Amino acid sequence: MSHSHTAQRREDLRLITGRGRYTADVNLPGQLHAAFLRADRAHAQIVSIDTAPALARPGVVAVLTGADALAAQYTQFPNLMAFTGRNGAQILKPERPVLATTAVRYVGETVAMVVAESALAAQDALDAIVIDYRDLGAVATVEDALAAGAPQLHANIPGNLCFEWETGDAAAVKQAFAKAAHVTRLKVITTRVAPSPMEPRGNLVSYDAASESYDIYTPSQGMVMLRKQISTLSGVPEAKLRVHTRDVGGSFGQRSGVYPEHGALMMAAKRLGRPVKWVGSRAEGFMSDAHGRGLGIAGELALDRDGKFLAARYEFLCDMGAYLTPTGSISHLRNPATLMTGVYKTPALYGSFKVVLTNTVPIAAYRGAGRPDIAYAVERLVDRAADELKIERSEIRRRNFIPPDAFPYKTPTVGVYEPSDFAGCLDQALKTADWQGFEARRAEAKQRGKLRGMGLSTIIEATGAGVFPKDQVAIEVDGDGKLTVYTVSLSSGQGHETTFTSVVADTLGLPHEAVTLRECDPAHDLVGNHTGGSRSMAGVGSVCKVAADKLIEQAKPLAAEELELEPSQVDYAGGAFKSRDSEKSISFVQLAKKLAGRQPHPMNTLAEATVGSTWPNGCHIAEVEIDPDTGVTEIASYVAVDDCGVVINHSIVEGQVHGGVTQGAGQMFQEEVVYDRGSGQLLTGSFMDYCMPRAGLVRDIDVGDHPLPSKLNAIGAKGVGESGCTASLPALANAMTDALRPAGVGHLDMPYTPSKVWHSIQAAKSKSRTQNG
Amino acid sequence: MTKIELTVNGTKQSREVEDRALLVDVLRDQLQLTGTHIGCDTSQCGCCTVHVNGRAIKSCTMLAVQAGGADIVTIEGLAKGDKLHPVQQAFTDCHALQCGFCTPGMIMAITALLKDNPQPTDEEIYHGLEGNLCRCTGYINIVKAVKRSAELMK
Amino acid sequence: MFEFNYVKAKSLTEAQTFVAAHPEAKLLSGGMTLIPTLKQRLAQPSHLVDIGGLPELRGIEVKGTQLVIGAATPHYEVASSPVVKKALPALAALANQIGDPQVRNRGTLGGSVANNDPAADYPAAVLALDATVVTNKREIAAGDFFQGMFATALEDGEIVVGVRFNIPKRAAYEKFPHPASGYAMAGVFVAEGAAGLRVAVTGAASGVFRWVEAEQALTKKLSADALEGLPLDEANMNEDIHATREYRANLARVMAKRALKKMLAQK
Repeated sequence: MSHSHTAQRREDLRLITGRGRYTADVNLPGQLHAAFLRADRAHAQIVSIDTAPALARPGVVAVLTGADALAAQYTQFPNLMAFTGRNGAQILKPERPVLATTAVRYVGETVAMVVAESALAAQDALDAIVIDYRDLGAVATVEDALAAGAPQLHANIPGNLCFEWETGDAAAVKQAFAKAAHVTRLKVITTRVAPSPMEPRGNLVSYDAASESYDIYTPSQGMVMLRKQISTLSGVPEAKLRVHTRDVGGSFGQRSGVYPEHGALMMAAKRLGRPVKWVGSRAEGFMSDAHGRGLGIAGELALDRDGKFLAARYEFLCDMGAYLTPTGSISHLRNPATLMTGVYKTPALYGSFKVVLTNTVPIAAYRGAGRPDIAYAVERLVDRAADELKIERSEIRRRNFIPPDAFPYKTPTVGVYEPSDFAGCLDQALKTADWQGFEARRAEAKQRGKLRGMGLSTIIEATGAGVFPKDQVAIEVDGDGKLTVYTVSLSSGQGHETTFTSVVADTLGLPHEAVTLRECDPAHDLVGNHTGGSRSMAGVGSVCKVAADKLIEQAKPLAAEELELEPSQVDYAGGAFKSRDSEKSISFVQLAKKLAGRQPHPMNTLAEATVGSTWPNGCHIAEVEIDPDTGVTEIASYVAVDDCGVVINHSIVEGQVHGGVTQGAGQMFQEEVVYDRGSGQLLTGSFMDYCMPRAGLVRDIDVGDHPLPSKLNAIGAKGVGESGCTASLPALANAMTDALRPAGVGHLDMPYTPSKVWHSIQAAKSKSRTQNG
Repeated sequence: MTKIELTVNGTKQSREVEDRALLVDVLRDQLQLTGTHIGCDTSQCGCCTVHVNGRAIKSCTMLAVQAGGADIVTIEGLAKGDKLHPVQQAFTDCHALQCGFCTPGMIMAITALLKDNPQPTDEEIYHGLEGNLCRCTGYINIVKAVKRSAELMK
Repeated sequence: MFEFNYVKAKSLTEAQTFVAAHPEAKLLSGGMTLIPTLKQRLAQPSHLVDIGGLPELRGIEVKGTQLVIGAATPHYEVASSPVVKKALPALAALANQIGDPQVRNRGTLGGSVANNDPAADYPAAVLALDATVVTNKREIAAGDFFQGMFATALEDGEIVVGVRFNIPKRAAYEKFPHPASGYAMAGVFVAEGAAGLRVAVTGAASGVFRWVEAEQALTKKLSADALEGLPLDEANMNEDIHATREYRANLARVMAKRALKKMLAQK
């Protein structure tokens, strides 16, 4: 497998010349436009709603409400929770009509939809809807939601607790803690954040009465998964749903689920017999696009006198928002459970989970989907233990790494890790980052009045195991020997048109330009997973190789016939079928041309494979410098050493690390979705208050790789999409903790905003004054 | 409603527009130039950046009527036939785009930046990109692309 | 946004007459504040009277001891003007930090000053330089002009025509930008002018204000340590999810020190 080093991607040309086709760019003849009335309060009963004044406005064709959602039975959202909880209980699922019926439960919830001849007319008419609410108490935090006597969001979910789960061995852990020489404890939170891909959400839905089928234009992360979810929500059979997507402006997990707006638009398109288009605003997005993270994790680590881990115990409080999204609950349970031991040998493990509903925007998977959260908790705990036991931070890790001879490593909870070289990644990162030389840099910074710190993280991820039983790839060959590869994954920036085609082309010994990728073509309905959980390259990407290999095997008899040989005497190499014993050969292109008369082309191939989780891992090291006068932190350097298995395209891997680390840095220093605790009002409703990373936050990253080919798929890839987030949250936090320690500051939760950092330094100063005074 | 005449990518255009219509909406909906994107509603993300009379402006924060008589260049007007503008070339050479949604606005902002400052330092580049958000790339390759553009345009 | 009628003024007189006759009309200059406001449906004017293109509202020139800038001059022109860079470089530097490049290509001095956003940059310079705001009706001293959050001395229909800045001996501006919006979380303009030492703070409180204690202390001793321990009314500072009032007060002090150091480094 040759590695591509060219940065230029196949998809670049249309995107840099403004010829991409995102959902808002699509228009259908006769289309109407929709605008949504959204709840302006966090928790209230809807006493009455009068849409007649809006219907009377110019250009308005219809106004839909919760009554329509009930009549259409669009009230049940899919949920991917695949296991039972405590005492064999199933997750308690709230009903969720696509337009609110009796109550609203978060600011931004869809209440009504105006459909009009123009977007402006629809917007204008929203004000005319008369709605009467009776306010109920709002609970914006998990603590408030779980408190005795708290207002209950859903009648079927007592105490707002919809699921409890545990994993591991509580008794073994208890025993280990009792005998431990030392116990380290730390409570951390991962803040609620807004994934904020640059393309706002929006859809266009058209209904064909004759076939009773829908065409749904939507951003997504994969056709099949979304179609299945839309089918569950609407009751419309999948065969009657065609999902169309061309270009997607980023997703990061936020587009992996069906939304109420999909259903509302379907209802309107069916009733009105015309396509209905909705383009969301960014403000709408902040109050209705799925949020991410939002876990509280209380961790305890038991160690022996040599700093070896004996046991670990975690309590997880998972905020899900007001309703369950398809991916939120499973990601925030399964991923932490699978990765609770981190890269360490921890003989006894136990985790308990509470899944809680609050009067806030529902939470779904967001880049990492629970992996950054558990990595953060584990790595902060390990650093703290190192501090308490006075063991050097890289050394305590080395002592506890799962050693190379222990793989495949069955963890005490869920999952079997594939071979990894944690010490190798660590060594490479320490060297690249000049870990040894740090104290001199800290001293120099101190002379300039700055606080400098260095921190590391060693982490591992389980990539998405797959929701579907297999990934299929179809290859079609044309009469000129050009190939089209069909999958149902969907790139939203990952460069599949470049990478998947290079896998096929390289396997066939053809120029990359000979192969084109079409993802999510409704006419090529395949079984396959969406793009998410870092699994695309290892999953469907590897099936591209399987398909190319299969194509060769299936074509050999056809080539043999042309060459008048036995198939067993034909080999394939360098783009041609060759006789083993003579000079006879026929190139791929020539064979394709020869066989062009037959339809379908005889060289067309359908292949499939089942690929489960792979295990990317690595070590990131961050060096930070704080200005104590302003509390501002500069990232002085950042080193990433990742084992993502075989690297198919180095530049794309680098880009994924750049993007993931910058999202991590955004969360660590400035991003946070903030609600007013009392009222549940959203305080960060735009980019004026939600601090997005800008150029210069992360100036450069030294991206290194330490690849151990995976044996779990045909191309040896492990995945890299989320490791930037998973490793950067703990690396940056550990660096900040290291920087603030000389100032007398202990553990500080994210985000490390200037105000918060400054206050922590002042508080430590006055505390030491009090103590010394 | 007002009748406006503008030059867009070298072609004279005449349209009837609502007074409240934003320039970005007229470009996208009436002129079918969908390369210019809308990414926010508080004039911060820069996805809508175009050139008006040679200056980079956010077309979501300008009324179409204000652009009457102006010379407008959008992303679609940057390449000359098959020949990419050096900034476009630099973007693909440096892997400075992933999903591509911020890219047109980013490229338009950068072409304008380099006109004012042909050899910017890193700090000047960060300052020059304050009006453009990207969620995918982490900006590192975008900054590289700016420097490569500066080289290509020497 | 709500519907309105757009009127492109052909002269200042025409604009003046129109807004007098239409009390629900609003003036449009660069639009960097007004258009986002309209997009959020926070205002519903009957008309927008576009004065951004009026030549009588443009221009940058030194007249005696003053730098005179027309109200419709965009920030990028002030930031890049050789006239401003020579006469009042601190003002060029300030203009170069407003918003972002695209905003600077449209936003104007007159718009900024008339709006008086508590976190805008220009008011700090206008106040610290004892500038005069010239309108179509009168001249207003800086000290009388700014009257609190989004409030100025301007009467209905009164149009800012330009600002006359007194050219100081030396001056400097230091700004701590809000990490999300780019507005000033604290911006301090320090100037040594004919009327004495001035320290104007924007972004930290409900409106731009002169830090009188700092001015007095620096008049006695012109050095950064003269600012140590000086009272700065924290109770008056803004507090929000991004910064406490104590932190903003701290920022005001730190920016004042940095501006002073920058100023003292000039001849």
